[in-house]
Amino acid sequence: MTKIIADNLKYKYPLSDKLALDNISFKVEKGEFIGIIGANKAGKSTLCQALTGLVPHFYKGAYGGKVFVDGLEVKEHSIAEISLKAGIVFQNPFTQMTGSKMTVYEEIAFGLENLGIAREEMQKQIDHAMELMDIASLKERNPFDLSGGQMQRLAIASIIAMNPEIIVLDEPTSQLDPEGSEEVFLAVQLLSRQGVTVIMAEHKMEKVAKYCDRILLLYNGEIIDFDTPGKIFSRDDLKQYGVVPPIFTSVCRELGVKKSGTDEYPVTLEEARAALGRKVK
Amino acid sequence: MIRVENLTFSYPDGPEVLSDINLDFDMRSTAIIGQNGAGKTTFAKLLKGLLKPFIGDIYIGDTNVRDTSAAMLAGKIGLVFQNPNDQIFKSRVLDEVMFGPLNIKLDKQTARKKAIEALKITGLADKLEVNPHDLSLSEKKLLCMASVLAMDTDIFILDEPTIAQDHTGKETIRKIIQSLKERNKLVMTIIHDMDFAAENFERIIVFNGGKAILDGDASFVFGQKDILQQARVEAPAAARLAEELGLAGTFLTEEELIKDLRQCGERAQL
Amino acid sequence: MKQISLYADRNSFVHDLDPISKLYYILFSILVPVILPSISVTLICSFLSIILLLLAKVFKKALPVFLLVFIVLITVVIIQGLFRPGNETIFLKIGPAVFYKEGLLYALKVTLRVTDIVGAFLILVLTTKPSDLVESLVRRGLSPRIGYVVISVFQIIPEMTSTMSTIMDAQRARGLETEGNLITRIKAFIPLLGPVVLGSLVNTKERAMALEVRGFNAQGNKTFLNEEKTSVLSKPIQLGLLLIVVMAFVWRLLT
Ligand SMILES: Nc1ncnc2c1ncn2[C@@H]1O[C@H](COP(=O)(O)OP(=O)(O)OP(=O)(O)O)[C@@H](O)[C@H]1O
Ligand SMILES: Nc1ncnc2c1ncn2[C@@H]1O[C@H](COP(=O)(O)OP(=O)(O)OP(=O)(O)O)[C@@H](O)[C@H]1O
Ligand SMILES: [Mg+2]
Ligand SMILES: [Mg+2]
Repeated sequence: MTKIIADNLKYKYPLSDKLALDNISFKVEKGEFIGIIGANKAGKSTLCQALTGLVPHFYKGAYGGKVFVDGLEVKEHSIAEISLKAGIVFQNPFTQMTGSKMTVYEEIAFGLENLGIAREEMQKQIDHAMELMDIASLKERNPFDLSGGQMQRLAIASIIAMNPEIIVLDEPTSQLDPEGSEEVFLAVQLLSRQGVTVIMAEHKMEKVAKYCDRILLLYNGEIIDFDTPGKIFSRDDLKQYGVVPPIFTSVCRELGVKKSGTDEYPVTLEEARAALGRKVK
Repeated sequence: MIRVENLTFSYPDGPEVLSDINLDFDMRSTAIIGQNGAGKTTFAKLLKGLLKPFIGDIYIGDTNVRDTSAAMLAGKIGLVFQNPNDQIFKSRVLDEVMFGPLNIKLDKQTARKKAIEALKITGLADKLEVNPHDLSLSEKKLLCMASVLAMDTDIFILDEPTIAQDHTGKETIRKIIQSLKERNKLVMTIIHDMDFAAENFERIIVFNGGKAILDGDASFVFGQKDILQQARVEAPAAARLAEELGLAGTFLTEEELIKDLRQCGERAQL
Repeated sequence: MKQISLYADRNSFVHDLDPISKLYYILFSILVPVILPSISVTLICSFLSIILLLLAKVFKKALPVFLLVFIVLITVVIIQGLFRPGNETIFLKIGPAVFYKEGLLYALKVTLRVTDIVGAFLILVLTTKPSDLVESLVRRGLSPRIGYVVISVFQIIPEMTSTMSTIMDAQRARGLETEGNLITRIKAFIPLLGPVVLGSLVNTKERAMALEVRGFNAQGNKTFLNEEKTSVLSKPIQLGLLLIVVMAFVWRLLT
């Protein structure tokens, strides 16, 4: 089942003279885990916002083409309606706090209250989200007194708790410790296995390569490629788009070692070990 | 340059965040790593004088941080905040960067010159008149960096400078750190990017449970697998790959690893 | 960020009562003395308010408010005592000033009424968290948007304070002296104003986005994390209060 369709999407911020998104067309199936990569200003955040209605409802500006999220045309439906289908985690967690709740627990509850979830169910979903993000011990703390990484975990938890069918995450692990990022990718992968469609903008290529089903490579507001990690990171011209592949890939490329039986370079630790192991021994 | 003695700190009504930390900082560039909530930012704010030690003392040069104000320390020690929204408060990029130099009593001309220089280094020279709040997160982070660079202090503390940066942005920051080192500045960085830490810093300190549990050069620290795991950090990617391949020694960078693997390959051919 | 409010966290049956019953009580305290304007009724009502404040263990916190109100009321006593039209019976002479009984009685009535009403409001304000009150109202159909605005109003001061301390940290980190004697602090206050306003504007925009994506404007019924405070007494109290108002009204019509 196709969950997201972008059809020739074009978008320009007000007061800007250049398209932030140009000729964007792609489709995402239910349960896929899609990574969006690209240099700074490539348009990753703008695309995330376009998938959740913030563009063009919150950010006005010139808009062309169509985006469908679970059958809803984004332009024709309010952010509130779209928020029932697709949740978004912002790039800066600080801006995700509602500021009207006194504790971490209540902050997560905010979205669930708006959705009209019954109390017992609500508590279950909150506890589950807190556990996933490892913040159960912060339950009673004031959201604004958290460390940067703790706040980022809270931001993710408050969207996951709402159980959206589609989750859009804009660099959700930028302030997390290594184990924390791994946990977030694992948690999100698990959700996608359960049928949630996941779109994640990230700069951590090692993780994107390991967890994403497909990768959307953006440059200057345009889609350069949309393919599997192996294909994307094996491209010879990646550098030109401001992207550097995982170290595992560059080491293998440097040594001319490909994944056996394919024309692709290894992109994960395991693949690199398998490919290089033959060589070292 | 910095001496920390028996430093203990907790926020009002909170548990102890740092307990009995003793550290000396010489000129070695230093990366502080550790899990979320380990107290890294808190430690930086204490050095900077924004928070006061609960117990213990911090000396910046000969000055005890207790006996002075954050403002008076500002000429000696600069801090790039973790969250740029906490640092930026002016409505024009140039003013934001000139604020510091003007406060340490530079005349307007010099302050402007320093500010523009810093903005050039960070790649924001074409944004002088822009409102900082219209910048993207990665640009805001670089702007915060510029504001601190313009003050040309002897000590620089960067709280997660690579947040939101792409490869080019990281390169920019790497170059800035290199040039600060060349100019004999003490650079300390809090960071979660282990590859970046291993490649750019002479000393790595691991924070965990309110204490500095590991302290040494990168190849020593990243060789201590068990302690790293306990602190919820990991070795750089090159080191992990080398370990998987069963290579002896700790590899920190891609280049080191490639060199070694090439030699392996050649030996195999012979 | 704390909420600014006069709320005093105590253990009492008044605290346990739901906010709506307290609103009923306010209505009761305003209406009954209007319907039955005799001094004795007003006196009983004001006593009731004061007793409730005492039972809620918040009388001490109420005192300063009463004091402020009485200072204003003194002018009422003086003006009415001296100049109320219909003043006839001389009550007291102080030098050239002559106080009349009619005016003073009227002033007494005003004072009692004000005590009664202020007391009733204080019972609500001192024993109820603003967020609980707003939540109760939203449950009864107040628009959540208005509810949010009301809560924000309670948060303006703490939010400003926290924005200010964030900005002050940013400023002293770059050499602006903000600690020290009064003059330094006043000097430091001026460069704060612009950024605080700018910061609040930026915050407001970002907040709006944060709320939207959490379904704040979604159609359909909201639910609430916290269970509504209801005590077994709520319904009887609300009914009792209504009944008394109705009875007072009937009494008034009959006599
Ligand atoms: N609010 C805005 N107003 C005007 N232009 C904007 C705005 N936000 C982004 N842009 C511009 O749109 C383009 C795409 O920006 P976007 O933030 O989507 O990039 P990104 O890929 O998310 O970058 P980063 O990796 O830095 O987060 C850039 O040229 C940027 O300057
Ligand atoms: N203003 C505050 N009030 C109360 N507690 C706080 C405050 N700021 C931080 N803390 C707590 O102190 C601990 C240390 O926080 P700190 O910000 O120093 O962590 P950190 O190591 O920088 O983490 P991160 O990697 O997530 O940035 C955390 O548990 C945090 O919740
Ligand atoms: Mg972005
Ligand atoms: Mg921190």
